[in-house]
Amino acid sequence: MMKKGFLVFLTVAAMAFGFPFSAAAEEGVTDKEIHIGQWGPQTGPAAAWGSVARGTDAYFKMINADGGINGRQLIHHMFDDAYDPAKTVAGVKELQEGKGMFAWVSGVGTAPGLAVKDYLMNKKIPWVGPSAGSLHWITPPQKYLFAVYPLYEIEAKALVRYAVEKLGKKKIAIVYQNDDYGKNGVQGAAEELARLKMKLVAEVPVQLTDSDLKPHVMQLKTSEADAVLLWTSVKHAVMTIGTSAAMQFAPQFLSTSTCSDFPMMMSISKGLWKGVIAATFAELPDSKSPLMAKYKKDAFDKFAAKDERWGLFYYAGIVFSEPLVEGIKRCGKDLTREKFVSEMEKLKDFQGISGKISYKPFDANDPFSRQGQNQTTLLKCIEGGAAERLTDWMTIQ
Amino acid sequence: MLNFLQMIVNGMAAGSTYALMGLAMVIIYKTTEVPNFTQGEMALLSSYLTYMFLDQYGVPYHVVFPAALVFAFVLGCVLEFVVLRRAKEPNILGMIVITIGLEMILMGFVSWKFGADQKTMPFPITPYDSVVIGKVFISTLELLTMGMVLLLMTGLFVFLRYSKLGIAMKATQQNDVAARLMGIRTDRIRMATWGISSTVGCTAGLLISSIVMQPYMMWDPLLKGFAAAVMGGMTSLPGAVFGAYMLGIIENLFGGYISIEFKSVVAFAIIVLVLCVKPSGLFARHYVKKV
Repeated sequence: MMKKGFLVFLTVAAMAFGFPFSAAAEEGVTDKEIHIGQWGPQTGPAAAWGSVARGTDAYFKMINADGGINGRQLIHHMFDDAYDPAKTVAGVKELQEGKGMFAWVSGVGTAPGLAVKDYLMNKKIPWVGPSAGSLHWITPPQKYLFAVYPLYEIEAKALVRYAVEKLGKKKIAIVYQNDDYGKNGVQGAAEELARLKMKLVAEVPVQLTDSDLKPHVMQLKTSEADAVLLWTSVKHAVMTIGTSAAMQFAPQFLSTSTCSDFPMMMSISKGLWKGVIAATFAELPDSKSPLMAKYKKDAFDKFAAKDERWGLFYYAGIVFSEPLVEGIKRCGKDLTREKFVSEMEKLKDFQGISGKISYKPFDANDPFSRQGQNQTTLLKCIEGGAAERLTDWMTIQ
Repeated sequence: MLNFLQMIVNGMAAGSTYALMGLAMVIIYKTTEVPNFTQGEMALLSSYLTYMFLDQYGVPYHVVFPAALVFAFVLGCVLEFVVLRRAKEPNILGMIVITIGLEMILMGFVSWKFGADQKTMPFPITPYDSVVIGKVFISTLELLTMGMVLLLMTGLFVFLRYSKLGIAMKATQQNDVAARLMGIRTDRIRMATWGISSTVGCTAGLLISSIVMQPYMMWDPLLKGFAAAVMGGMTSLPGAVFGAYMLGIIENLFGGYISIEFKSVVAFAIIVLVLCVKPSGLFARHYVKKV
């Protein structure tokens, strides 16, 4: 009887003292591992951006091969959400509540990201580098959400400024995906044109499922635009310039960074992408930067799948993860979410293979306390899918 | 006026692709009364294999395109023989669910084997060249697609009306038991129907692939083709083609004059409208049993 009572006492004591121990350890962090989650479309209409998650995966493997961060290995959990917000929500909840992620990184798409933003923020889970330049990440700013991608608005402003001031274009139109991604582009273009005392001559929305863009190009042609901004998926961007070519409508096309992987765009468009100007947020694939060379050699060459390509979308997965890795490194051995946030806020002019990234202490009234990169650079697609750099890094507020 | 004419031509061009998918759906429906939702993915698989042989093995067009059509025929027959024929006590709902399941399996296979990155099929003509008639433009690819639609529609019409196999197909649809009693091997007829339908779908897939290829690419044309077939009455080949052209034109005019945002839902509004007002479609002569 005494023995049984002692066992009960031991069990109760273990429960009473054991649980607080496990509760004190940060979710998703053990002595040897840090669990990071990520979603990305490997199938579906936005699958071309699926390589972002694969790029992050190779980057984490490279870090692990180099010994990890402060003795811990990065365990990368990625899943295919097919660019479907319902699947994003299901996948994020499954991983967060099933396995427990310390933080989330990247995640392609405005709509999928918006679907899980509140969930992650309510649980105070850090999320670094959503792979979309949406205003929604920072309006209002969230303590645990660190945007890396330059805002689509910034890109639109930079492109419009270049089209009007450098190319002398008088009639600017935009064809945009009818969601937040596209509408952020429209907003940026309209604001910049208002500054220049001009207006968009046409705003043409495209649905993600549209397979015939002739009516859209008809509207662009009727507007007599001499420059057209493309704020769509890769498929629709190619269809727009293809349909325009067939209808003998030849304005200067300018595209968001999501279509700035020139070799791929040239291949899909059968050469029509030549001459298109695009904004971008990272170094060029053939950049001479030592860091790019290291990533190419130690991440891509060693860990990428056989038929993977060293293109912008692939190493964008590295761009969006670099600040996360830097923040974790700065935390040292004592890794908690609060400490991570505090270290991220100290990042100032941090530069990996993108423009400079800075954050500030959280200020609910300052969206830019959580917008890391405010720089973009413009490129022109030339022969063979190579890029000609048109501008230096442009800082646009 | 010029814009209006251009929209009509654009609508006909878009309608040609829908027509090919609509024809493919009608062929199977005529024999089995099952709308085949695997149609798009059967074409997808044939198109991706064609791409593989063209791009990776350098097989010339004149070999690979006919081979693709033969493959598509065999694929259709195999799916019918291996999967659909095995369905126990099949009813129409069960068969539809099977076709949706097959659709997902084939799309999953293509995504796994070829990846989800966008590609374009090498093609003998560029999809971005155009012909100018008056001041109205139409791309050479769209002209080719229209030609293929007319050719296939006429060919199938003649085949179904005058050939022994075509008449047997019609008999199988109208009365399976009577057809069997008359010595028609209805299983084989259904298998051939799937083969022919898959071949027609493959033609659409090859033409679409010359613009952008991705595992998702056949879903929209399939739904639009289905809408066109419903509009035309599901059993009428000219009806499906007429429905497809009407759909393309309505979509373009709607996008041009009313709302481009809601252009893509027009097709589905038409399905609802036709099913409510004239469920047998615009062209079908419905087979009514007298009791």
